[in-house]
Amino acid sequence: MNNKDTSKRTMDIVQKGLAKRYKREKRFKLYGLSAIIFSLMCLSFLFISIFSNGYTAFQQTFIELEVFIDPALIDKGNFAGSNYQGIIKASLRNAFPDVTERRAKKRLYHLVSSGAAYQLQAVVRDNFEKIGQSVTLWVPADDDVDMLMKGHIDRNVPEADRRLKDDQVAWIESLSEQGRIEKQFNTTFFTAGDSREPELAGIWGAACGSFYTLLVTLALSFPIGVAAAVYLEEFAPTNRWTDLIEVNINNLAAVPSIVFGLLGLAVFLNFAGLPRSAPLVGGFVLTLMTLPTIIIAGRASLKSVPPSIREAALGVGASKTQMVTHHVLPLAMPGMLTGTIIGMAQALGETAPLLMIGMVAFIVDIPGGFTDPSTVLPVQIFLWADSPERAFLERTSAAIMVLLLFLISMNAVAVILRKKFERRW
Amino acid sequence: MKKSLLAVLALVFIMGTGNLWADSSRDYISIVGSSTVYPFATVVAEKFGKSTQYKTPKIESTGSGGGHKLFGAGVGVQYPDITNSSRRIKKSEFEKATKNGIEIVEVKIGYDGIVVANSKEADVFKLTRKDLYLALAAQVPNPDGTETLVDNPYTTWKEVNASLPAIKIEVLGPPPTSGTRDAFVELAMEGGAKEFGFIKAMKKTDKNKYKSVCHTVREDGAYIEAGENDNLIVQKLDANPDALGIFGFSFLDQNTDKIQGSFVDGVQPTFEAIADGSYPVSRPLFFYVKKAHVDKIPGMKGYLKEFTSEKAWGDEGYLTDKGLIPMPTAERKQFQDAVVNLKPMTASDF
Amino acid sequence: MTPSYLLLLLLLLSTIAYYLGKKRAFAVVKHKGGPKTLHSRPGYYGLLAAIWCGVPAVLIYSAWLVFESTIISDMILANLPTGIKALPADRLTLVMNDIKNLVNGNIISGEINPVIQSASEYYERLQSISHACLAVIVLIIAIAGFLVVWKIIRPSLRARNHVERLLKIVLIACSTLAIFTTIGIIMSVLYEAIRFFKVVPITDFLFGLEWSPQMAIRADQVGSSGAFGAIPVFLGTMLISAIAMSVAVPVGLMSAIYLSEYANKKFRAVAKPLLEILAGIPTVVYGFFAALVVAPAIRNAGASFGLDVSSESALAAGLVMGVMIIPFVSSLSDDVINAVPQSLRDGAYGLGSTKSETIKQVVFPAALPGIVGGVLLAVSRAIGETMIVVMAAGLSANLTLNPLKTVTTVTVQIVTLLVGDQEFDSPKTLAAFALGLMLFVTTLILNIIALVVVRKYREQYE
Repeated sequence: MNNKDTSKRTMDIVQKGLAKRYKREKRFKLYGLSAIIFSLMCLSFLFISIFSNGYTAFQQTFIELEVFIDPALIDKGNFAGSNYQGIIKASLRNAFPDVTERRAKKRLYHLVSSGAAYQLQAVVRDNFEKIGQSVTLWVPADDDVDMLMKGHIDRNVPEADRRLKDDQVAWIESLSEQGRIEKQFNTTFFTAGDSREPELAGIWGAACGSFYTLLVTLALSFPIGVAAAVYLEEFAPTNRWTDLIEVNINNLAAVPSIVFGLLGLAVFLNFAGLPRSAPLVGGFVLTLMTLPTIIIAGRASLKSVPPSIREAALGVGASKTQMVTHHVLPLAMPGMLTGTIIGMAQALGETAPLLMIGMVAFIVDIPGGFTDPSTVLPVQIFLWADSPERAFLERTSAAIMVLLLFLISMNAVAVILRKKFERRW
Repeated sequence: MKKSLLAVLALVFIMGTGNLWADSSRDYISIVGSSTVYPFATVVAEKFGKSTQYKTPKIESTGSGGGHKLFGAGVGVQYPDITNSSRRIKKSEFEKATKNGIEIVEVKIGYDGIVVANSKEADVFKLTRKDLYLALAAQVPNPDGTETLVDNPYTTWKEVNASLPAIKIEVLGPPPTSGTRDAFVELAMEGGAKEFGFIKAMKKTDKNKYKSVCHTVREDGAYIEAGENDNLIVQKLDANPDALGIFGFSFLDQNTDKIQGSFVDGVQPTFEAIADGSYPVSRPLFFYVKKAHVDKIPGMKGYLKEFTSEKAWGDEGYLTDKGLIPMPTAERKQFQDAVVNLKPMTASDF
Repeated sequence: MTPSYLLLLLLLLSTIAYYLGKKRAFAVVKHKGGPKTLHSRPGYYGLLAAIWCGVPAVLIYSAWLVFESTIISDMILANLPTGIKALPADRLTLVMNDIKNLVNGNIISGEINPVIQSASEYYERLQSISHACLAVIVLIIAIAGFLVVWKIIRPSLRARNHVERLLKIVLIACSTLAIFTTIGIIMSVLYEAIRFFKVVPITDFLFGLEWSPQMAIRADQVGSSGAFGAIPVFLGTMLISAIAMSVAVPVGLMSAIYLSEYANKKFRAVAKPLLEILAGIPTVVYGFFAALVVAPAIRNAGASFGLDVSSESALAAGLVMGVMIIPFVSSLSDDVINAVPQSLRDGAYGLGSTKSETIKQVVFPAALPGIVGGVLLAVSRAIGETMIVVMAAGLSANLTLNPLKTVTTVTVQIVTLLVGDQEFDSPKTLAAFALGLMLFVTTLILNIIALVVVRKYREQYE
């Protein structure tokens, strides 16, 4: 009888508390879910604001011009230096014959980008027989015209505050009535290097630079980082020195990235004499930066492999090295890949250390190898954000979108690899 | 022993991979210097690269002071060829460069105004140079009228000048590495300080004290050093209508829809006012060339020719479109000749 | 042949050496009892052959190339006419640059001077001779290495031990590199910081309350007063990091717990990569976001409450930094929580606890050391973050704990002091190194604490 009473009481106690516990359980779960939703909301907010600023950059306004290639303006001895700008100006005057006043003519010339002259130069270079004839070209419009067509310039603002004057707006409207102005896909953005004119600027130079730099970084930091992690975790004797080393490596992860840039400046540029602004040096500096992350993540994942696996391998007769390379390392790979992903992602977005080695410079030509001067994508974004032209705002956002695309595909590949290898003990 | 041998081998290997590429040589022009001249130099560089077979020059924005430091370090392939500067080279910088064996050719490229701008959403400020001095200096004359100096007590613009609005003084400006800062303290603040008789008299009696009184900017938070990134200042002004910013005229010119320039001594900062000299805060822009590099680095002669051509810096040139105020015709001719003759500077030029 | 092709050839030779070595091992024991009499698995014999074929050759190759260009340059210079040789060293580098440009086929500066032309032809000749010698020597060494090993392959050769020892040497070399980096940074930072402390006493730096380092960069310029008291700067870093961690730790931890305990596989497969994207967004983007969206929003919100919020408040920078750090905390905690064996959880469920109780009382304590490690890594990241604070935090050192005011951080000051004027003997530039040293020491202490905590409380399962 006593037993029944006590057990009933225990059950009662348990039953009474159960509802509260379930509620707590639900709340806890809700906290977790809301944490994730909060992060994802921040992410989507960021993406939406970037996307809304950047999607217009994928289109560029072009103007159709009837260009008469005046043989008088072509210097037979120097095709590259001939006055193509003059030819373009003449064709603009022909399109709007009633514009005569000097300042108005200047504003007329501003409708078309300075890149039109280079486009014409290329046409003449490839087709000498066209000299003396008329060709129809779609030339890129000036960035202010582009902004107007995309709606970023408000036509209702008083003229003094606007970049485009009333007569320019009138000409643009007449062009659009004639169907000679339209937005086309902006291939220049993907094929050209940096430029001072927004309508001629592209990210290809920076993308190539980023690619080479990241290649160097990955090729160096992953093997060295994994090797160092394996040694420090498995083979190194545990004494004060290795403690010190571990603490030091952890510390390196906290050193501001710009200090690595200084180290790179001192060692790679001054001491070893490597070329400035080259992806090779950038890669070396970023390797030094990413190593601690990979080593720390590598050690953590090596630590998490249970000793039972190790003992089992040794028990079957493997040597220590075989145990590490055949058993422990493959199981620790997912963690190491995580560390490498985070490290590479960090490296891809780094600006500060590359400042010191000269990659923060205006470089127009596309890099062809590891030693040509180049810049990287995040630095390009930083530099464009520095420019006063309005059109660079949308191009910066578009470049950010491209960079993020790079990143997401990198992440995706690594995630797929990791999923293949992940296990739970 | 084995470990140290290993370490040595590792080091050799690393240096080896580096030197695999040490045979590469520099075939492009390397330019450093002012962030104010940077927008102009990059336009010229790009045009030069596109219309000739030479590589486009590489241009870094380090600030005028930083540029002179790098430029003056020596002659050789590892040093920059040209430095841009938003102020004239100082005597000490010239002497240091001469000591390192450098012959410098000076080229003025035009004029630039320094504007004090704020967001278009706020009212336009009508300032005088005296107001600027009283608002921004570290030490100002005692408000009670005695001819002594006290630490700057003013916190709002109204306290400085009753006709100005009662807004907290918050000015974003360049750090001492910037040539714009040097020019601003000399033209605006010194210009304002001179209106106090006793300070003007100090110039003759104690030049160092005079300089420190006129040029020292307050550090209690009213003046914020906003770095070399002028466009970021423009964006911060857009976000904070109570703040003012100090930068070159070209940035105002390219952003007239977002910011407006304050009147200084009754003159509005416009292209014409700066060109004819009525706007008081304007200064020339320069670049300096190493004579020894001109024949050795491919393309330098062509770049110099492009920069000093009429279609670049003339009255109708493309640099004018970017906000550069061109020099009078005679001055332009003078510097065109300087670039052809490459006459180096001497100590007597100071 | 060009050096890069040589390297590829070496790789090819090593691979061939591997196969030949392996074949040899099989051949040697064919009539003596078969592969089981070999000491190690046959692959190891192949590996040994490949290593001794490739590695010495590559080392000689790099050493050669290190010295080749200097030696050739010296020989060219010795051959130049005396007039040019008399030029100072710096001018000579320009002449060498011209010669090298001609050799590389780049565009040169002027018309081709006959002296330069002959010098460059001589350079090319020397270079081809050098490359030919290099090729011959390297190939000989490679083949010799292979033959030596080939000769000594027999069943009693302890190939595996040799290979493992060589492998261990490689591992040591890699760790040495990592250690050298640490030492290199510590040395350079320490050296410059000591020079700084000779000019500005360390007590002034550590305990001073005024920070205005923008001193004049020339004798005739007037700059700031040059006060180097670092407390306001450190306080700024602590403030912004605290705000960032107060966002990142709860959100990150709860996300990790949800992802590893509650989420089904599909949700996890989607959410985890998305969170990692947050880590990958370049910090410049976060910086702009903070400066242009978050800061004005906070300012306006504050104004509507009647508070005086600065346009570059610590809150703005801290919040955005926190969002950036969430994935660090989340990722690392997730991995650690996953590593807690299922048996512990099952035991708790078996006793009747709910999921949240299991997590709070069993899993979390078990994973705690790893989580603490992850959180400390995140704190290190927060303290060392540069770009976000460069754009969103201010530049004037304010001694305040109010998150609505503007403060500056250590990293911002380092950037401001080192970009631009880089003269290495003004106290201004050296101050940056002193700041870096203090940062280093602070995080060192933090990490030691973490190490001690993790070591003391780590549970070893199984």
